[in-house]
Amino acid sequence: MSELLIKNAFVIDPLNHIRGEIMDIFVRDGRIVESVGPNAEVIDAGGMLTMPGGIDSHTHVCGTKVNFGRYMSPEDMRAGRTKRHGAMHATSGYSVPTTYGTSYRYSTMGYTTLLEGAMAPLEARHTHEEFNYTPLQDTMANVLFDGNWAIMEAVRDQDTARAAAIVAWFLEAVKGFSIKLTNPGGTEAWGWGKNLTCIRDIVPNFEVTPADIITTMIKANEMLRLPHSVHLHCNNLGTPGNYQCTLDTFDLVPDINRERQSLYATHVQFHAYGGTSWKDFCSRSDEIAASVNNRPQITIDMGQVMFGKTTTMTADGPMEFNLYRLHHNKWSNHDVELETGSGIIPVYYSRKNLVNSIMWAIGLELALLVRDPYQCILATDNPNGAPFVKYPEIIALLMSKAYREAELATVHPDTGSRVPLPAIDREMDWYDIAIMTRAAQARALGIAGQGKGHLSEGAEADIAIYPLRVGETDPSREYDAIIKGFSQTEYTIKRGRVVCRRGECLVEGVNTTYWVRPKVSEERNILNDEEFKRNFDRYYTVRMSNYPVQDSYLQRNVCIDTEAQL
Amino acid sequence: MMRVVLAVKERKKPFLPIEAEAILPSAFLDQEAKLTVWKGNKELPFAEVFAVSIDGEAESADDVEIVIRGDSSRIKRIGEYMDGGRIVIEGDIGMHCGNFMEAGTIEIMGSADAWLGREMRGGSIICRGNAGDYCGSGYRGEKKGMRGGSIEVFGNAGDFTAEMLAGGSIVIHGNAGDMAGVDMHDGALVIHGDARMVCANMTGGTCTVHGTVADMMPTFVRTGQVLIEGTEFTRFSGDIANRGKGTLFIRRWQYMD
Ligand SMILES: [Zn+2]
Repeated sequence: MSELLIKNAFVIDPLNHIRGEIMDIFVRDGRIVESVGPNAEVIDAGGMLTMPGGIDSHTHVCGTKVNFGRYMSPEDMRAGRTKRHGAMHATSGYSVPTTYGTSYRYSTMGYTTLLEGAMAPLEARHTHEEFNYTPLQDTMANVLFDGNWAIMEAVRDQDTARAAAIVAWFLEAVKGFSIKLTNPGGTEAWGWGKNLTCIRDIVPNFEVTPADIITTMIKANEMLRLPHSVHLHCNNLGTPGNYQCTLDTFDLVPDINRERQSLYATHVQFHAYGGTSWKDFCSRSDEIAASVNNRPQITIDMGQVMFGKTTTMTADGPMEFNLYRLHHNKWSNHDVELETGSGIIPVYYSRKNLVNSIMWAIGLELALLVRDPYQCILATDNPNGAPFVKYPEIIALLMSKAYREAELATVHPDTGSRVPLPAIDREMDWYDIAIMTRAAQARALGIAGQGKGHLSEGAEADIAIYPLRVGETDPSREYDAIIKGFSQTEYTIKRGRVVCRRGECLVEGVNTTYWVRPKVSEERNILNDEEFKRNFDRYYTVRMSNYPVQDSYLQRNVCIDTEAQL
Repeated sequence: MMRVVLAVKERKKPFLPIEAEAILPSAFLDQEAKLTVWKGNKELPFAEVFAVSIDGEAESADDVEIVIRGDSSRIKRIGEYMDGGRIVIEGDIGMHCGNFMEAGTIEIMGSADAWLGREMRGGSIICRGNAGDYCGSGYRGEKKGMRGGSIEVFGNAGDFTAEMLAGGSIVIHGNAGDMAGVDMHDGALVIHGDARMVCANMTGGTCTVHGTVADMMPTFVRTGQVLIEGTEFTRFSGDIANRGKGTLFIRRWQYMD
């Protein structure tokens, strides 16, 4: 039995409506409890800001695509090197660090849980292997279903139950957590050198539209009672005028889950563009935010862009090809048979560039214009908009109009005339930030019940203590102090153990992988579906029996069993 | 003036490389500094590898001359980030000599291994023997090679000489290997001997080859004849495959069969 007492913590815990109170927190064997004995280890938080551990609900940190980002950019690998030190392994990489680099830097910022945003099911083993070397965060993976042939056939046949049964088999087989649709149908079209411009285009050879895929999958998701909703990367990413496509997509979404959203739309900054070309490119964040404000069934994340070097990586192969044609740097393109694809290119977001400056403004506008912070999550689509180490700067921008004005003065001079940002006065408070960095993620991913994102009795003791004194810091003026305070915790506690202290990670750690196993009735079980099996063996280069990820790929893991309505 | 002589001691395994980025004129200004080198994952004091003798005193890096004596052919990264002064290498030198160098002079009496003066910013490197591959280039994944200063090689240079060249000048008195000047975007490359497949993907800068270019890239356009120091050269522009605006001056060339 190990016990820990955290004294004098200034706690903000939005899921429990705690808005900042001095409290003691008691921990036994990795969970929050009501009291501890006299021999408990004591940490005096001295009134410092204390919150549940941070959760990133959309980040690219583990898997084949991420790893390709590493080896196609040796210059990025050289950019973030740290030496072996104490319990810490050597690390390298800036925008795509090694797994230990990712884990240590997230831990230093108080993050304890990560959702890998895009795992190709066929390549799931690689993701799980890297999860095992991301030891200071618990992990889970979105599974890509955007171009899955069997799913698209079920969608074409308007057989939602069959689509759900197929998802159930894949999720269990690859130890995945949730349904991800990346440019649904578009990457399959890219296999034929084409793309889809929006939700009414037809996927070649399948006679379905993205709208069909999205609506069917939203229903299938709820049939399976998955903790998370469908996680969508809309069609037509990064194109001037694409905001209309995004609005049309949002119009498709029914409100069918009482606990959480019915659709999680990711990196919406990249989908909120006005104009007809790069010449008259502008922000349409206000329309997008208004749509979200009218639809409690939608949660978005910002997909904030920050200036500097990074790497873009996505399953959206055709979009990466378009980026490649803009940048003329190196490019990777990859097909995952029968399922999806991917593309990767390095980018540099420049303040001097008008388009980049507008992109930077749009992400902030979305966060500031969406009224309920539970509906707009802080994320950069790491590393696509910026490496996650930029989160503290984003927090400071959201909390301080003065900081935004200071930054606006350094970007392309025409930016102000193309975006609403200069007119927005909202300054988010500490409570809003606590929601946007942990509580909203826990609710959106449906993992509050797993003890994530809050500090109730029985919750996982994942706790971040920041060297910030809320009463003594004025975020709207002291934005440098905000950046500094959120960049490095005083203590990061994972499962009741101090894992990181002032940037020094103290233990080797073991991650826990969360995955979902929907229980489907015998007659709906896809293993009894001869057509599915026949097509699997006919089209895949892998035998169906060899496809599932063996248990040995997961170390510590939690299987979430759901009772599917099938 | 300060004169530092580093005589490489006899080593049991002379083939094992030593990383010696600490060998810089400015490093000797602080007499107290405990200088070290790395052999694999072991950090060693200077005295284990070199017999060190120091004469005189110096106020700035420019007043320091370092002489490296003995078998230094496997000693790497000498003069990395050098910002003044002089290094004389009496024999051969290992890889990455003069990485990122900004000012001062390095003179190599023997030959240099690969990556001589990579991503160098200023100063000059003189190599009396041959230079290895990637002389004056950018390291893996880097978009810019050498950006300023000069490298002069009296012998031959290896493959990918001046890759990603972005400024400064490189003069090779002998022959260059394959793909000299590949991806160069600025600066000047002069090859007095022969070369092969020069300047593919070039976007800017100039390259002059006094000898014969084998397997000349077909993606350069002839734009005229010019006289350089009394000799007639053909001028080319390209690489048009890359919308490049580089210039080649070439005396003789052959296209690939
Ligand atoms: Zn993403």
